[in-house]
Amino acid sequence: MIDKKDSYPKFAVVGHPNKGKSSIVSALAHDDTVQIGNTPGTTQVKRGFPLKVDGKIIYELFDTPGFQRARRILAWLQEHKPVSADKRADTIREFIYNFRDDDRFRDEIELLEPIMNGAGIIYVVDASKPYGAEYEIEMEILRWTGQPSMAILNLIGDEDYREDWSRALGQYFRLVRTFNPIKAKFKNHIELLESIAQLKEDWTDSIKDAIEILKKFHNQKIDRTVGIIKDTTIKSLSYVYRHKIKSKSATKEEYKLASNRYRRELIKYEKKLEKDILDIWKHRNVDVIDTAPIINDIGLFSKESESIFGLSQKELILTGASAGAISGAGIDLALGGGTFFLGSLFGGVVGGVGAMVGFDNLYNIKLLGQKIGKRELIVGPMKSHNFPYILLGRALYYASTLANRSHAIRDSLKLDDREFFIERVVDSSMRKKLERVHSIIREQKEPKEELLVEYQEVILESFKKLI
Amino acid sequence: MHSKNSIVSIKSYLDLSQLLSEYRGSHEDNRSFALKNKKLEKAPIKLLLKWLDKNYFRIDGELNSKRYLDYLLSLSSLLGLIFFILGFLVGLGLLSYDGKLPVNVIYYLFIAMFIPLFSMSLSAISIFSSDRVANLISLLFPLHWIEKALSYLPFKKKLKGLKFNLHFKISKLLFIERLQLFSLIFSIGLLISLLIMVIATDIAFGWSTTLQVSAESFHELIRYIGIFWAKIIPSAIPSLDLVEISHYFRLGEKLDISMVHNADKLGAWWKFLAMTTLVYAIGFRLIFWLLTKKYLNRELEESILSLKGVDKILREFNTPYVSTQAPQKEKHLEIVEAKKEVVIKKREAKYQTILGWNFSKDEIILANDAKDIDGADNIWAIGGSNSFNKDLEIVKNSSGVVLLYVKSWEPPTMDFIDILEMLIENSKVSRVEILPLGTIGRYYKNEQEHIDIWRRKIESVDSQKVWIINHDR
Repeated sequence: MIDKKDSYPKFAVVGHPNKGKSSIVSALAHDDTVQIGNTPGTTQVKRGFPLKVDGKIIYELFDTPGFQRARRILAWLQEHKPVSADKRADTIREFIYNFRDDDRFRDEIELLEPIMNGAGIIYVVDASKPYGAEYEIEMEILRWTGQPSMAILNLIGDEDYREDWSRALGQYFRLVRTFNPIKAKFKNHIELLESIAQLKEDWTDSIKDAIEILKKFHNQKIDRTVGIIKDTTIKSLSYVYRHKIKSKSATKEEYKLASNRYRRELIKYEKKLEKDILDIWKHRNVDVIDTAPIINDIGLFSKESESIFGLSQKELILTGASAGAISGAGIDLALGGGTFFLGSLFGGVVGGVGAMVGFDNLYNIKLLGQKIGKRELIVGPMKSHNFPYILLGRALYYASTLANRSHAIRDSLKLDDREFFIERVVDSSMRKKLERVHSIIREQKEPKEELLVEYQEVILESFKKLI
Repeated sequence: MHSKNSIVSIKSYLDLSQLLSEYRGSHEDNRSFALKNKKLEKAPIKLLLKWLDKNYFRIDGELNSKRYLDYLLSLSSLLGLIFFILGFLVGLGLLSYDGKLPVNVIYYLFIAMFIPLFSMSLSAISIFSSDRVANLISLLFPLHWIEKALSYLPFKKKLKGLKFNLHFKISKLLFIERLQLFSLIFSIGLLISLLIMVIATDIAFGWSTTLQVSAESFHELIRYIGIFWAKIIPSAIPSLDLVEISHYFRLGEKLDISMVHNADKLGAWWKFLAMTTLVYAIGFRLIFWLLTKKYLNRELEESILSLKGVDKILREFNTPYVSTQAPQKEKHLEIVEAKKEVVIKKREAKYQTILGWNFSKDEIILANDAKDIDGADNIWAIGGSNSFNKDLEIVKNSSGVVLLYVKSWEPPTMDFIDILEMLIENSKVSRVEILPLGTIGRYYKNEQEHIDIWRRKIESVDSQKVWIINHDR
């Protein structure tokens, strides 16, 4: 009798050494701790990756070592001839039983064991390299297990031999699908799972449940990312640094110190945001290469960052003008149009001119309290019209890069896409909504909840365009 | 600070705030906690408080709430005493009777009714007004200044170094709630002093005002004031006669003759004054105090949900915990680089045996042609679909310098190593040169990465007979 707690579907990812088995498991399990190497035998023992929801396993993937002595095993199996098809699985069991402690077949035992315990087979080949007859031995052994199976064509290199492979694999496996774990996005994961669901009728419901769970899980990650971007942007834009000074007027050094501390705090907020995003997308081992001055510390306030992530001067003026016109239109409406819509015109001009404030002039530094004796330098809030877009652009770029990054990638994360344009992801109507909140913060007021909800929706829309 | 019906107290609010600054738990732990307490699924505050109870041990050092509540208790005890004494003394002052002029009940009514009603109205406005207005209103209350003055006393030191942020609304309500309590204590002091004075001395009450108020109008006002107890204790409402005879003017040295004649009746006002104090200064205040407490508790419940970190915990309580990762850590594979150099750039001019691992014989001939290798006497395909025994036979028949073609992109398996070791053991074989080939599509060109994989594996074989050729001709 099958143990109830073990009745969930299991899949063993098997194949020749170095064909990307661990990469596929790593991508599907969203686990970047799986050791992936170009040295054959990197995976030495099978390792289970269960998809658990509140502790309940929905399915389990097994990463396994590659075949090492497939010919010897097939020879052993064939010695038991004549074996009818219904008895072949028993012959495999007998092989496992006889050679469990034999070091020569350690890898094969590791990969055959989960299959003989009921796991479906996901056979992985590198379809960027030519097909070879030697694979037929492995496929034949897998056929002997009698378990439902499918093949995955992984394109590791840049050549494409999928046609040849499909012809051969089609004779051994029910399904043949292409899946590149390095390039795969969430959509591809779901498509692969949908294929896996077809392997065995008993597993279909569980896999479909898993797909729904993973979709929800993915949407939660998106919502959390967007929420954090919104909160960090609002916090950064409203931030005011107070620096106490001793003498009657502030020295140049004190101005510089106050300004540096203000900047440092904003950088700290950005770093915290980056860490939170790494956590949300479960990239635990990513080594980020700060390619100056894209996303590094100095980058936030650099001209280059402005040109990559900020709005162009033209867009900035248009955004400022339209936001100003909206405020002006409010006055026009309040006065029943008696202003001949001069309010909109005036608002537009003021907004447009305001938006032209140069990037060198990011924030105000004021000296307060000269009369009462408690003198302090007040730095902030951010007055640059472009800075909010730079912040948002950088956050969206960083978050989307991580969201799109497969967990199978082991290279360092290089943030050097100079072709990122905020205008591409935030159109003019979206910018108007953002600008409403930015202008309120510039006036050191607190935006209303409904405006913040709208703000978050705009970020969500832009983020979805990037992933 | 913790009423019977409320679920959040100042203590739990402060403790949760302190715990959240130090620990917020993992999604897995929080979700598992929520699942264990499924009954509280729809009561997030109760669930949060239960989570607090479970994690109390994680708070490092002394609880902020203990220090703060100790301070508040010391301050409140002192203030309670001060307000009681003040109320008592004010009562004594108001009721002090020198035997010449009667005690003017209007003064007493002012303290026992008008001021409490005014103070309660201000408190109510303060509760519902903005932070700035509430701050301004608080300046009107003596409690604000007394607290400020007391803050210089040594017990304020208890709060030194204490870091917590009590939400402004909570601080405001806490102040207003305490204000009602101390006012209540003040009024009790006032009532006690009235009762003592009535018992211990013979007081003649009267009323006098500069305003043109007739006895009838004043009586009407008195009836309105006493409306709450008129039916229960009618004797506590002065009659029109009493109001008339107790009206006096300070002009002239002597009292009105009728007043002197009815001196025994003038004391009857005390019941009215006592009831006014009991109803307005004590009863209404008590109700207002309880309402403020209730409002404070409601605010605590709302504010606890906006504490930093609570949104994360609540989200984790309600979101299924999805895990896709392996429970056990992988043992990292140590790659030890051998020192022996196995790669050569130049190949032999002639080979006695040419083998192709996983190549067909045709493919070997094609490769020979591409690599300008003259046909050897013995060309055999090994691996592939050959049986292991067939390969053994080929190995036995191999001799001299052997060229072994391999697919560079296919890493060496143990099957290959077995065959290679047999070639090494074959005394007729003097040398084995392994030539990795790239795909035909790339004109047999290799990738360095693949050569490195082969090199590492062959190094591990540790034989003087085996070499890898790495050249692209």
